[in-house]
Amino acid sequence: MKITVNGAEHELASPPLTSLLNALRDELNVTGPKVGCQGGNCGTCTVLVDGEPRRSCLLPLAMVDGAEVTTIEGLGTPKRMHPMQAAFHFYYGSQCGFCAPGMITASVALLERNPNPTRKQIQNALGGHICRCTGYVKIIDAVEAVARGESFDGAELTRSRGGEATPKGASA
Amino acid sequence: MARHKGRGLATIEYPTGMNQSGDLTQSWIKLKHDGRVDVLSGTVDIGNGSKTAHRQIVAAALGVPVDWVTVDVSDTDASPWDTGTFASRCTFIGGNAVKIAAERVRERVLEIAGKMLEIDPADLTIEEGVVFARGAPETNISVSDVAHAATWQLGGELISGTGTFVKPFAKILDQETGRIDRDPHAALSYGASVAEIEVDDETGEVRVERFIEAYDIGYAINPTIVEGQIQGGTVMGLGLALLEASYPYYPSPEHRGADFASYMAPSMVDLPQIDFLCLENPSVEGPFGAKACGEMANNGQGPSVAAAIHDAVGVWVTELPLTPERVLRALEKKAAGEDAPRVDGKWVIFDEELSINAVGAPDADVKFTFDPF
Ligand code: FES
Ligand code: FES
Repeated sequence: MKITVNGAEHELASPPLTSLLNALRDELNVTGPKVGCQGGNCGTCTVLVDGEPRRSCLLPLAMVDGAEVTTIEGLGTPKRMHPMQAAFHFYYGSQCGFCAPGMITASVALLERNPNPTRKQIQNALGGHICRCTGYVKIIDAVEAVARGESFDGAELTRSRGGEATPKGASA
Repeated sequence: MARHKGRGLATIEYPTGMNQSGDLTQSWIKLKHDGRVDVLSGTVDIGNGSKTAHRQIVAAALGVPVDWVTVDVSDTDASPWDTGTFASRCTFIGGNAVKIAAERVRERVLEIAGKMLEIDPADLTIEEGVVFARGAPETNISVSDVAHAATWQLGGELISGTGTFVKPFAKILDQETGRIDRDPHAALSYGASVAEIEVDDETGEVRVERFIEAYDIGYAINPTIVEGQIQGGTVMGLGLALLEASYPYYPSPEHRGADFASYMAPSMVDLPQIDFLCLENPSVEGPFGAKACGEMANNGQGPSVAAAIHDAVGVWVTELPLTPERVLRALEKKAAGEDAPRVDGKWVIFDEELSINAVGAPDADVKFTFDPF
């Protein structure tokens, strides 16, 4: 079986009924997609298969033979982030980060389909992704910011009290 | 069939950290020869933002820019002791520990700088990584130069400091009255939650349209993180109020949710409007006056939604989660005239003695007989 992951082609040794998630993580060491529930319920294993968001825990390799797979690693790196990654960072759309690989890939796919979603449409599109930490508000804010075309190039990627980096009472 | 709107209020008080259990955090800070700061702390950041907050606290207490500070929590085997990430203790207890350590480092930097500049260290201060004489900023030396000199010219000293924060046990002074020798808690945070809901009296379904949350958090070291804690806590509280029952037939483990399809956590689709405000009423002992803002943010929503249900349809549902089944059963009872609506809620007697023993006071003499009434 052959798949292309983040631009690199791989010949896989895992048996055809292995889930794409396990093949990515265990055989190819691509650990961005997380193992949440392995039952299609949480969304953190989401990757783009030929541009479409898919739960990799539910996809046997046999069904993705020849496909082009993009994981969170393929979107950008800490130095050169995808605008959606930068927006999640800037808007504090991730706390523990466990949901982020799925949230971000699914959000990128959403804006591909619908560049100007309403808040309700974002909620529906990401409704199958569970986040235990953020309460979702800042995730929605981040997706809206990218849709608005906000740019984070060279932006100071931390927001703090009134632009100050340190709390008051800083010098004793 | 009709939908009824209701509004309910709940207030909470939250003691920061686990003060009665000898709950301590240690930290160690070293100033490298280039003036950059390494913080080793046992406080693990699980997404609560303590790493960022600790960075800010150290930068502020030491007087250097935030980006000079690295917080390393990667290995709890090698790090100093920390009791754990729970009970809203990280910024408060862990934050105090790193602050104390940073103050020691600052003191040592001032001593060395004092010698180098031939000025009494008491007349020096540090801001933005520069040590300077108060009132005479032209007499100055950078923290990097001090650290460099300590390492390469003044005998190879590694400037470092340790800090421990612990709230000691309260001891009973008088068995008769139960008077104790210190406050049992280091800081109390306060909060309130208002729920605006709609109840469907045919299906028993409750939908929260809006939460209004208010919290006294002492001082927001990082307001964005505080916002995240409040929004996240509110949605978790929404789950506890309406959806989540880890043991539906407690204590029997039967019918426990085995996956996210049967144990329902709130999703983005359930998201109500969340409005909140923070009050900053500084605590005496917290770092820069901070209190806690983690766990308490998910404590108010259960009772506020229950109160809103009473406001909407006149029944008290006194068990969480407030499922359609429970709401319908309460409505049925009310229709049959069986159960007069309870206006006083449910009293829970808090057993202080049991509670103190349960958190493991090592000293058998510690008995807490204080009667609040
Ligand atoms: S791990 Fe695939 S949906 Fe949860
Ligand atoms: S950030 Fe922790 S699950 Fe979303």
